[in-house]
This record gives sequence, structure tokens and C-alpha cells, in this order.
Amino acid sequence: MRQSPFLCTAAIGTVTVALCILAFFAIVVLNVQQLTQNWSREVQVVAYLDEVPAKNRLEMLIKDAQMIDTVEGVEFISRQQALDGFRSRLGDDATLLEGLESDFLPASLRISLKEGSRNRVSVEKVVSQLKSKKLFSDFRYGQDWLDRFDSFVSLIKLSSAILGGFLLFAALFIVANTIKLTVYARRDELEIMSLVGGTSLFIKTPFLIEGALQGAVGGGFSLGFSYILFEFFLHQGLSSLLLSGGIDNIIFLPTHFQLMIIAGGIFLGFFGSLLSLRKFVRI
Amino acid sequence: MVQLFNVCKAYTRDGNALEDINLKIPKGDFVYITGPSGAGKSTLLKLLFAAEKPSRGQILINGQNLTRMRSSRIPFLRRQLGVVFQDFKLIESRTIFENVSFPLEVQGKKRYEISKKVYQMLKSVGLEHKLTKRPLELSGGEQQRVAIARSLVVEPLVLLADEPTGNLDPEVTLDIMELFKSANARGTTVLLATHDRDMIHRFPRRQIGLEAGRLVEDRTP
Ligand SMILES: Nc1ncnc2c1ncn2[C@@H]1O[C@H](COP(=O)(O)OP(=O)(O)O)[C@@H](O)[C@H]1O
Ligand SMILES: [Mg+2]
Repeated sequence: MRQSPFLCTAAIGTVTVALCILAFFAIVVLNVQQLTQNWSREVQVVAYLDEVPAKNRLEMLIKDAQMIDTVEGVEFISRQQALDGFRSRLGDDATLLEGLESDFLPASLRISLKEGSRNRVSVEKVVSQLKSKKLFSDFRYGQDWLDRFDSFVSLIKLSSAILGGFLLFAALFIVANTIKLTVYARRDELEIMSLVGGTSLFIKTPFLIEGALQGAVGGGFSLGFSYILFEFFLHQGLSSLLLSGGIDNIIFLPTHFQLMIIAGGIFLGFFGSLLSLRKFVRI
Repeated sequence: MVQLFNVCKAYTRDGNALEDINLKIPKGDFVYITGPSGAGKSTLLKLLFAAEKPSRGQILINGQNLTRMRSSRIPFLRRQLGVVFQDFKLIESRTIFENVSFPLEVQGKKRYEISKKVYQMLKSVGLEHKLTKRPLELSGGEQQRVAIARSLVVEPLVLLADEPTGNLDPEVTLDIMELFKSANARGTTVLLATHDRDMIHRFPRRQIGLEAGRLVEDRTP
């Protein structure tokens, strides 16, 4: 196959740019997701106990709570532990507590939820299941905060799905059009091939392989470029934006995402060629 | 070798480019297709190498019915044909040698076999010293000889040539006619579309006349 170096570069370049944008987008989404995941650890149910039941009764209670399929862990906080916690939070003002009896704070179960269930619906389900036990006096689970958190998470999900889909579509469109140029530049050859008895497969295969290769190369370049840009620019930008939100590290694309970018390049190159060939090879 | 039954071809709704053509060309024949511009000569040839489909009627080439042929079989039909186009249709980015070897490569022939055949073919059209040139470095007559070499290198059953001497001067026309005659002498059936009266006069052969898409003349000298 011979092709003008200019058009070959253009095809690879287009794939590179398109995938760089997709990779950047994925990096931002991944890190924001990291942030929301981090925040979601705050989603807990604290169930206050009227009275501390006997030891084996308590163990049963904890075990029951753990049986709920959305529950990750259950921790018992005794009155003493609650007081200690309170005292340490007061710090220097802890003297205020002197003279008070050690049991003025209630004991409680602190229930954390599994990752996919850290939302209002699941929390409320857990609460209503615990309520049926009639041993708890009160539940606290940050209702207001949870609502805002829920809508934030769904906003992130929706907007990244829409934007990501749009970007992928735009990438395919642009790549297919660039490849159309490379096919167009060789339409004479394609026509003559079919006139002298080339089968459709014979004519198309080199173009498809070439497209896939160019796509793979473009995918590799885009990984390289986005890594460099990530190190020098994106990392800092995201850090100042997200690290205050409590995550400890801004991440680059994990390996399976990197492979997906390469696969995306092959996909773009292959289908870009296939789409453009349909116009020029009519047998 | 070539048979047409009630063949009609309409590109648009308002008129037929070919109307009710019946024709029988035996193996080894040499036939001129004549007629003024727009008579339907090119259309007839296009139907024969399946670049266009007839609107009605049947076409048989070497016993194969083109109208019933699956499109995946068309490449294999074309391998039995040699086609010479008025505008040559050479690949400008490839050398003369590569242009002529193109149909053999497409057919998946072995490399040494290709080299031998292509060299012999180019020698017979007198261009063996221009193997590595590209089409645009050649004169019109030389380009046409390359195109003819490409059509004959596959040893076709039928050769279809659309005004092969249309833009060439008279001496070159003579050379090219010699090529067609010798291919015909080796057994290839030749169909040659032309409106060059002079040429028909010089090499009188069976003559099929078209006018406005109708067959108006079929004459053997
Ligand atoms: N692709 C096409 N679409 C529509 N009309 C066409 C097409 N090709 C040829 N024609 C018409 O068909 C008629 C015959 O054309 P053609 O076969 O090229 O004649 P010739 O080769 O004898 O000059 C003409 O009227 C021409 O305008
Ligand atoms: Mg014509």
C-alpha cells in the first residue's frame, strides 16, 4: 500500500486528537468519581439504642444488621465510647464534662453501606428494616446532605454519559471524514481494481488493515500526549480543584482504560475506513 | 460467446439509452460497434462488463447469464474480460510495469509468473524499455498501448475496447489496430466501439451500427 505521507499523517493525527480529548474527558470523570466515592464513605446510619441490651442479644442485633445485603459493616459504640469520642472532640473544653455521669450519651450502632448503596433510597430501606426491631430510639443519617449528594452524583453521571457519547460520535465522524480523504485520493486505483476483477474483500482488506493500524498508532500517540499533558497541566489543575475535596491522589487512566483507548483507536480506524469504502467500492 | 436478448437500458425515466437489442457474437469474432456520439456504444460495453445492469433482457457471456449473476461473482466474470477505456484509466502513481501487472496481482497470480507475462506483454506492445516510467511521462499513444497491454495480459476471452483510438493520430491508430488484430488471431473475441470510418475502411470487419439506442445495422463484409 502506498499512500501520501500527508494523508497518512492527517489520519493518524485526527485519531490522536480525537482520542486525546476522550482521554482527558475520562481522566476528569474518573477523578471526580473518585471524589464522590470518597465522599460517599460519609454515608452512614447511626441508630441510637434506648437501652443497651444484654451481650448475646446485642450480638444478635449486630448480626441481623449485618445480614442486610446493602450493609457493609456495623460498629457498636457504647455509652463510654460515645463519651470518649465527645470528650476528645471537645479538646480543651473537656472539663465541661466533669461531674456528669458517664451515661448521658446513648449507645449506638454505626452502620456503613456498601459502595453502590450509598444513596437515600438504600439508606432509608436500612432504616425501615431496623425500625421494625423497636429497640432503637432514633436514627440519624444526614437526610439533607444525602439528598444533595444524590443529585450531585446523578448529575455527574448524566452529564458525563451525554458528553462522552457526544465526543465519541464526533470522533467517529471526524476520523471517518479524514479517512474518506485518503480513500478519495485513491479512488482511481479502487475503481480499476474492481474493473480488473478484484473481489470486494481483496480491495477492502488493505484499507481496513491500514485504517486499523493508523488507528492503533493514533491511540498510542494519544496516550503518550495525554500522559505528558496530564503530568504538566491537568494534574495541577485537577489537584487544586479536587484535592481539597478529600481525595489523596489525582490518577491517570488505569491500565484497562489505556487499553480501551488503543482499542478505541483501532475501532475508529477500522470503521472509519469501512464507512468511507462503501461509497467507492460498489461490488 | 456474447449473446443479448431483448436488452433495454434506461438510465433515466425519460428515455432508453439502449432499446431492444438482440445480438449474437460467436467466439473469435472481430466486431466494430459504430454510431454517432450518444448512440449507446459505451452503454453496450458497460453492460457487457457488468458496470451497469440492463433494465430488461438477458445477457450471456461464455454461457454465463449476467442478469442472474450474484454481485460477488462479477469479479470472476471480469477476470475473463479485457477492457480498454477511452481515457485509459491507468494508475498515475504506479509504474508502467505495475500498471500492467495489476490485473494479475488482483487475481492472486504468483510473482515470477507475473513478471514473465508482463515483460512479454510490454515487449509485444513495444514498451519494454519504459517499464519503470509512470503513465504521465508517456505520450497518449504509449499510454493507450499500456492500457491495451493491461487488458490483454490476462489472456481474456473477450476484449472490449471503447474508442481506443479516439484521441490518437493516424500512425498510432495503425499500431494499435495491429495489437487488436493479433490478439484476435490468438483467439480473443474483440468488440471495438468506434466512430472512426477510416479505420473500418482499412480493416473491414463485421460492423454493428447503433443509432439512438437502436440496432440499425449488422453487416459482415
Ligand atoms: N450514467 C449515465 N446516466 C444517464 N444517462 C447516461 C449515462 N451514460 C450515458 N447516458 C446517456 O445514454 C445515451 C448513450 O450514451 P453512451 O452509451 O455514452 O453513447 P456513446 O458511447 O455511443 O457516445 C446518451 O444519451 C447519454 O446521454
Ligand atoms: Mg462513448
